[in-house]
Amino acid sequence: MAKQKFIDAVRGKRTEDAPWVPYAGVHCAFLINEPADKFLQDPELLAKGLVETAKKYKADAIPLVFDLSIEANSVGCDLKWWPDNVPSVTTHPCSNKTPEEAGLTLPTKDTGRWPVLFEAARIAKPQLDELDCAIIGGICGPLTLGSHLAGVRIFTDVYKNREFAHAVLEYAGKIGAVAAQFYAEMGCEVIAIIDPVASQIKSETFKEFVTPYVKPATDVINGADLTSSFFICGDATKVMVDVCELDTHGFAIDEQLNLNFIRDLAMKYGKGFGGNLKLTLALSLGLLSPREDAIVSLAAGGHIGFTFAPG
Amino acid sequence: MAEKIKIDVLTLDSVQCAACGYMMESIAALPDDVQEMIEYKEWSIKTKEGVGKFMEMKGKVLPSICIEGDLVFESIIPQYEELIDAMGERAPSSVKERLASLRDVGFNFDKLQENLKKAGAGLNTKIA
Repeated sequence: MAKQKFIDAVRGKRTEDAPWVPYAGVHCAFLINEPADKFLQDPELLAKGLVETAKKYKADAIPLVFDLSIEANSVGCDLKWWPDNVPSVTTHPCSNKTPEEAGLTLPTKDTGRWPVLFEAARIAKPQLDELDCAIIGGICGPLTLGSHLAGVRIFTDVYKNREFAHAVLEYAGKIGAVAAQFYAEMGCEVIAIIDPVASQIKSETFKEFVTPYVKPATDVINGADLTSSFFICGDATKVMVDVCELDTHGFAIDEQLNLNFIRDLAMKYGKGFGGNLKLTLALSLGLLSPREDAIVSLAAGGHIGFTFAPG
Repeated sequence: MAEKIKIDVLTLDSVQCAACGYMMESIAALPDDVQEMIEYKEWSIKTKEGVGKFMEMKGKVLPSICIEGDLVFESIIPQYEELIDAMGERAPSSVKERLASLRDVGFNFDKLQENLKKAGAGLNTKIA
């Protein structure tokens, strides 16, 4: 396992071979025979699952959690828990008012599940250091957090009610900066802004409503001399240039994008890039051979700035 | 009402994937008057039936919304009015006018969880 190799790759540098990062998430719970809802609320189980998964898969890095409800929950969104999945956000406090009108404040280390994460990181960090495995802090990106706060109306508001959309997303950006600071204090070497729904909008919408509200988090991460990344899911083709123009060291994509296209784009912008072992087609459904899929990804990704990971 | 507009939402899994979740929510948060005119279901590609529906609809990307068998919103979460218009274009003539009259109503989140449950959101996402 090689922490520095992963950091170098995210920063777009040449590595001896591609670092490997399983975005294990609640799969860690499965590996230690615990339900996801219990695992995500118990710091000792979280740390145990994380360390065992890093060992099992010989990971060069692993996300502390892969749960995009943490920030929303810490400012008042209710959750529905699942035994085999991440929790879903069930209420939207900004569905009919701005964050200010709703009386929302910024999260603290004591709100929501932040105390669980701080404790899990405290337990897991020395063990992962011993394995030479980096920890990734995963922040909920501004548009996904804006969706949690305001509901699906945010995708209409970015066209029809722009002032409201800016108010919600500006607040989401400020929460991102707080979360970045928390993950930095937990000892995460790489902090990723994870914004899956940012692939579901047009490029001009991304530029106006995502780019400026990613910056508060990247200012914290880059300012602390840590390494920053932006994770996007789905068919993000229409916004990939915008992703490359963010102030992050690298980015990661999923199975719906062609890795040759992504590699060339990343090289052009001097970014690290991660992906894209096919989570659905190969790992979940077995419609493709995971082994052959891995070989294709590794060949396409090469040795400059590439992190091999599921997508 | 006898004739309902049929909507199929192709997803990875609306619990795990936020984009899929908000694609589902765009239908589940339609106001009550629109809910009466539509029937909809989540098809997670993690299930055999979901793979079958993806093939049947000639899906290319996830998530996607199909209305009356047409792939309409592919990796774009629709605005409220876009959804109403897309349904109106494919609606039986008996409901077109009523649907058009609801174009300015906007999303309603009061029965969101109830509507998502009816559509099977998050309930059929295990690997078959």
